[in-house]
Amino acid sequence: MIKKFIHQFASPKTYLFQVNRFYSFIFYFSLVIYIFSITWGLLLTPEDFVQGNSFRIIYLHVPASFLSQSLYLAMGIASIVYLVWRVKLAAYLIIAIAPIGAMTTFIALISGSIWGIPTWGTWWQWDARITSTLILFIMYLGLISLHNSFSNHEKADKLLSWLVIVGAVNIPIIKKSVDWWSTLHQSASITLTEKPSIDPSMLYPLIGSIIGFFGLIICLVLISSKHQILIREKTKSWIKDYV
Amino acid sequence: MKILKLEYLKLKKKTRSWLGPILVFWLIMIAYPLTVEFLQDKLEIGFFSVLWIAILISMMLATEDIFIEDYNDGTLEQIVIKNSSFQFLISMRIVMYWLMIGIPVSVLSFIFTLGTSEDLVLSLSIIPLSMISSYIFLNLFVLGNALSLNKGSLLGALLTMPLALPVLIVLGKSLISIQLGINFLEFILLLLGCLSIIIIVVPIIVSYIIKAHLE
Repeated sequence: MIKKFIHQFASPKTYLFQVNRFYSFIFYFSLVIYIFSITWGLLLTPEDFVQGNSFRIIYLHVPASFLSQSLYLAMGIASIVYLVWRVKLAAYLIIAIAPIGAMTTFIALISGSIWGIPTWGTWWQWDARITSTLILFIMYLGLISLHNSFSNHEKADKLLSWLVIVGAVNIPIIKKSVDWWSTLHQSASITLTEKPSIDPSMLYPLIGSIIGFFGLIICLVLISSKHQILIREKTKSWIKDYV
Repeated sequence: MKILKLEYLKLKKKTRSWLGPILVFWLIMIAYPLTVEFLQDKLEIGFFSVLWIAILISMMLATEDIFIEDYNDGTLEQIVIKNSSFQFLISMRIVMYWLMIGIPVSVLSFIFTLGTSEDLVLSLSIIPLSMISSYIFLNLFVLGNALSLNKGSLLGALLTMPLALPVLIVLGKSLISIQLGINFLEFILLLLGCLSIIIIVVPIIVSYIIKAHLE
């Protein structure tokens, strides 16, 4: 049953129709959660004992950083699926995600820099976390330029998948950089195994903003992947019926 | 051994491919003192940064045409059809490039370090670091060149350059530990660990990438 569902869903046609069904729901649900969490975090959460009001940038910085890595992981999984099972939809997803991943990484870097000025006294530091995130951003740009340099889409998809898999080595480095090196960047406040070191009054809106931001980015991925399918499958008869 | 000898003869014929990167490395290291004052203590300040970047650039130049000729004249296609161990052939080609370019660059690194720092221990420590790092850089740029096989080597270099940055960070840290007299063997072991993974993984991935180009 699951296998049948996956096979069905892996068809670009089914995917396109399913996206249209769920898109509005995901978008409005995420938008409400994000606006609610941001309002809560910016207006109702008390000031931080040490950082004052500057800490409130976490409601943008943390979701963007989380998403920048998660999107790359998603691309990594899609690459394996494409190379092993030759699922076309996975290849479309990879190139659909890449520009959005670059955007979230850019937001994470910029918001981190803005946060750095009042807290560290500098907007940039060549420490392990920031440098590895910058590498991730360059990787995203490299992936986009590699794909754009080939007119043969199938070849471009294969090469892109291989590069995504190789570049995935950077993800654990980013995650663990604050533990492996002594860095200016603080270690993770929320982990799966330990109690969060952040106060609940700041934690709940943060979780809400992560969920909301995640949903909104998923919507962007859905639109981008829809666009990819429409470009790549334009010669198919069902596309003509769909349009 | 036969493959290695064949790769040696092929590379030896292409003088520009192996001599060019060594000369570029040499020129960068000679040009460096001209940009700073000729005082010994001033010379040392940025010397090692220039050294690592020079190694990186020379390895980038070394791999510029590593596959393109064979790709254009159909040799790669023949090798893929005939040879069952394409990965092994790629490994041997990288080894030969390292022996012909990486080793001389490491020896030159030692000479330049000795000339600048006048510290034999420090200069000797540079040899393993430059040997390992040049091999890692070669592998990474080979990967990049395989990806951008008929699209120019610049794209390939840009794609894999970010992966080389952590190696540069480790090189910088290992140098500080040498200068402070802390045990730097841990850094060499870390680089060796990375290298042992790269040596196995890169030829496999490169072989798949080249096959994708030939399909």
